[in-house]
Amino acid sequence: MATSDSVTKPIFPAQEAEAESSQRDLDWAVVQRVQSGNVGAYDQLVQKYRGKIFSIVYNMTSNREDASDLTQDTFIKAFQAIARFKGKSSFFTWIYRIAINSTMTFLKKRSRRRFISYENIDEEVSNSEIFERLTAKNRTEKGALVNELQEKLNDALQKLSVKHRTVVILHEIEGLEHAEIAEITKTSVGTVRSRLHYAKQQLQSYLKDYIG
Amino acid sequence: MAKPNKDSQKHITVEDLLQLKRSERPDEVFWGQFDRELQQRMMQTLVKKNPLHLQVWSALSGRLTQSIGVACTAIFLAVMVVRPALVGTGSSSNSRSVAQTEDTANQAASVAVEVSMSDLGGSSVEGSHDYSIEGISAEVESPDSSFTRDFAMVGFVLGLDADYSSDAASSRVPFGSIGVATTLVY
Repeated sequence: MATSDSVTKPIFPAQEAEAESSQRDLDWAVVQRVQSGNVGAYDQLVQKYRGKIFSIVYNMTSNREDASDLTQDTFIKAFQAIARFKGKSSFFTWIYRIAINSTMTFLKKRSRRRFISYENIDEEVSNSEIFERLTAKNRTEKGALVNELQEKLNDALQKLSVKHRTVVILHEIEGLEHAEIAEITKTSVGTVRSRLHYAKQQLQSYLKDYIG
Repeated sequence: MAKPNKDSQKHITVEDLLQLKRSERPDEVFWGQFDRELQQRMMQTLVKKNPLHLQVWSALSGRLTQSIGVACTAIFLAVMVVRPALVGTGSSSNSRSVAQTEDTANQAASVAVEVSMSDLGGSSVEGSHDYSIEGISAEVESPDSSFTRDFAMVGFVLGLDADYSSDAASSRVPFGSIGVATTLVY
């Protein structure tokens, strides 16, 4: 069974396009099985995309419990609507759109209530080069720096508008192309670039203590 | 909070920091619980019935659609098919009734003259011309043309059937024969 971690991007553009097409075909085959009544096949799609969906929602909400609920909502909504999915876009574009729309609706309702609960950072990353440099130069303990930076990053993301936050998350954290983001958010590529540029400028000012 | 040393952080960019967010991943315990909850919710979704108001609405909306369709078809047929046919029938029957009325009026006038002449002469024709005498008296007392025409029609019907009780019905029969559909259209 494929997991979200197994979806890796190839190095060359041609390979990447081929891999995307093959992923799309695989997803479409599973969707068709679900549409024909094999409900159990839907679990393959859940296992494959739950990590990605959770990551997007978590970074948009900065709350792991809300992210968990919204991720489940996303899969339930997609399941309820899967009979109407015609395969015009890829399944991942479609389900990302459901996730983002659900999260945006949730954030509008939640505008006054704001509390943050963090996800754990991998040990591997806390031993990464960036952390090594940050800890060395800050003369602080690594554990304290990890917590501090995590808090700052989440704060900075939450200061962005939802639209800018979405674009930054999809591009910088999830690694999606501008065109893919444009398709998911139903905007133009130009709008995506513009929002990304503005959002990075904002983040730079919020995180100026950590960047050169 | 420790203040970072800016001189040693020149190589760190916003992108570098954001990439650290990729590492915020839930553990396997979280995913186990997630899968269980999702499975439960999916099962609930599969077996869950719609709320009562939605069930009622869906039941009604089907019947409403059917009823509206039937009603529209009936109205269309009434307007496009039944009404023109009845209008044609009505105009021909009207012209026919006008002609009959004129004939009857002439007959009545002749009878009236006859009766009046017989009355003057004291002849005994009361048995067969009893009703006609009433009609004549009405015509004499009320010169209203509509009354005359009504009477003429009544006189025509009664003359054929020789039945006094059909008086009231004579004015309704032609109207009743138009039918319910025409009444709806009007």
